[in-house]
Amino acid sequence: MAINEPSQQLNTSAGTYRKKEKRKKFLVILGFMAPALIIYGLYVVYAIGMTFYYSMFDWSGIDANFDFIGIQNYITLFQDLTFWQSLKNNTLLIAASLFTQIPLGLIMALLLFSPVKGMRLFRTVYFMPFLMSTVAIGILFIYIYDANFGLVNQLLGAVGLDSLQRGWLGNEDTAIWAVIVTICWQFAPFYMILFRAAIVGIPEELYEAADIDGATGWKRFSNITFPLLKPIIVTSAILSIIGALKYFDLIYIMTGGGPNNATDLMATYMYDQTFTNFNMGYGSTVSSMMFIIAFIVTVIIITLDNKRKADY
Amino acid sequence: MFILKNLLFLLMGAVLLMAAGCQPSSENMETPDGESESGGESGEEDSSEDAASEGDDVLSVWHIETGNAQEVLQEAADRFEEEHDGVTVELNQYQNDAYKEQIITAMGGNSPPDIFHSWGGGWLENFVNSDQVMNVTDDVETDRFLQTGLDTVTFDDEIYGVPVGMELTPVWYNTEIFEEHGLEVPETYDELLEVVETLTANDIIPFALANQPQWPGAFYLMYLAERTGGPDLFDEAFNRSGRTFDDEAYVEAGEKIQELVEMGAFPDGVNGMNYDNGQSRQLMYSGDAAMEIMNSGAMLNNVRDEMPEFEENLDYFLFPEIEGGEGSQNHAVGGVSPAFSVSEKTENPELAVELLKELSSQETAQGLSNRSGNISAIKGVDYEDDYVERLSNTLNEADYLQTFYDQTLPPEVAQVHLDTTQGLFGQSITPEEAAQEVEETAKETLDE
Repeated sequence: MAINEPSQQLNTSAGTYRKKEKRKKFLVILGFMAPALIIYGLYVVYAIGMTFYYSMFDWSGIDANFDFIGIQNYITLFQDLTFWQSLKNNTLLIAASLFTQIPLGLIMALLLFSPVKGMRLFRTVYFMPFLMSTVAIGILFIYIYDANFGLVNQLLGAVGLDSLQRGWLGNEDTAIWAVIVTICWQFAPFYMILFRAAIVGIPEELYEAADIDGATGWKRFSNITFPLLKPIIVTSAILSIIGALKYFDLIYIMTGGGPNNATDLMATYMYDQTFTNFNMGYGSTVSSMMFIIAFIVTVIIITLDNKRKADY
Repeated sequence: MFILKNLLFLLMGAVLLMAAGCQPSSENMETPDGESESGGESGEEDSSEDAASEGDDVLSVWHIETGNAQEVLQEAADRFEEEHDGVTVELNQYQNDAYKEQIITAMGGNSPPDIFHSWGGGWLENFVNSDQVMNVTDDVETDRFLQTGLDTVTFDDEIYGVPVGMELTPVWYNTEIFEEHGLEVPETYDELLEVVETLTANDIIPFALANQPQWPGAFYLMYLAERTGGPDLFDEAFNRSGRTFDDEAYVEAGEKIQELVEMGAFPDGVNGMNYDNGQSRQLMYSGDAAMEIMNSGAMLNNVRDEMPEFEENLDYFLFPEIEGGEGSQNHAVGGVSPAFSVSEKTENPELAVELLKELSSQETAQGLSNRSGNISAIKGVDYEDDYVERLSNTLNEADYLQTFYDQTLPPEVAQVHLDTTQGLFGQSITPEEAAQEVEETAKETLDE
């Protein structure tokens, strides 16, 4: 016991030293993160918490009286046909983002590496949609889809497809697709830039080796480019899924969720409930649901991705 | 240590997750909202700062007037500042839709403006019921205002604001087209249908309509329902005394809308056309369409702004009578805009009421009428503009003014009314279903 004492003391003093060092380090890191953490806590964590809190009330948003109704709002939500309709539209948008925006972005990025003349021009042209203000895009496409003067109908008329002419945004069956096309048009360039950056990062030696092995074209793509792009594709998928779940702007600008709720997304429905119908409580319920869905989806994707990484 | 490290890791992870989640869409999402929000916030900050630094009383006014009307309000504010030493008036102008969002947030956050814009009706009543609006019954000289205007700000015989401007919503038509095809202003619905037939036969769209914002289509339902069921129909349904929103008259009005749609009375894709972008007016200007039901203020100001020479060919009539219906061609659809109210939570109630009086003074009313084509809700205005005077006379001579449903009804019912009416134009809903849906929501909301 007595013999052990000094060494133990030594141990602990070294331990405390190391501990001190670590704590110091931690404080420094914390210090640097503090501004972001405070803002994050206030505007994200606190805000999300309050959203869940408000979703338990029957509250107009302007009244001093809060009526606590527990999960009644959630029960109403699950029986709300418009909510299911908007969830369905969100799902459509996710599918369109995954299977249109990302492949399109990838194709555009690959095209930019092909030895065609004027690539610089195309690089700018391809990226342009993403640079435009969303409101401007919305108004531009409202005119493009206009039933009487619009570009789409004029083109259809010019090639003799008069029977396909219609008021694209006014028809409950076509409106959502018309907006989805616009959304894809706007966001495909964003993924193109991501993929372009990733492709630039692929070592040239790999392609040289492939050349020596005689691999060309498709083989080069499927054996080198695509596998090395996988991580960025996963990131893009997360971005586009979450983006689609929370999407609001072009729908709000182009159709306002109409006609007759046919193009409502969860976010536009939440907006209508909160600010048009004076249902702050119910609007909060919709946004809580949005958060839960987006959170679960993200967790699933990240888990799957980790598994994939572990399998390597 | 382990805990701290893990905590840090979790926090960083969470930040990343959020940052990833926020990526492309939210960046853009902030543009429309962010702008208006910063406008509102800076306005509030300014007022509190001014108050602190100068020790003055600051009155804030939120309004949605643009152009000349905005100038007239500014002049009224200047006059008020001159008369009241040390008082500053802050006018904050909002865009129509952003305004609704801002005012709800401000009221809910207990930092409302001293005076705010409204359209009266059910929208204002929501704020009244939440004790957010000051009762100004004793301060309003009721005989100075048109009764129809006052009605929209009166709840349970108490007055909660002052009406300043009025809207009349007639059927506007292109006189040149009517002359060219030998058409006369229709006095009965059958005559209107004949006009529609003649026009479609000549490849002219009878009615220009941009129904994406939903309210332009509602005019048709309101007129058709009134002409069928008479002036008391809506009041009975709204006050839950007698007929209801699923009354036969409403079903018939819906059927007539769909009949018009089938006749080709409206342009293709009406439900996707945006009024604010001018998609209905363009058809009028280009001569592709012959008629449009629209608010007087919007129609007149837009034409003068966008195609002044079109005013020569622009005339109006009130929606024709339906044979056997209970309504009359002398009954108009219209409403109030703007009306101004004082917040219950204002820190300077006396001053705010004084400012309310200045905003509805004869001088302000005169300015609004002469310079921005406003039909005044204030009596005794001397119109310089013949067109506005004629509209004002039509409104005053009308035996009944049907105020806009979407402004009179509580917002929830109003929304269902707008949605279902849009559905009628898109033929995705039957007139019976539409009427029932409105009645169901009305039952839940109004019977309470």
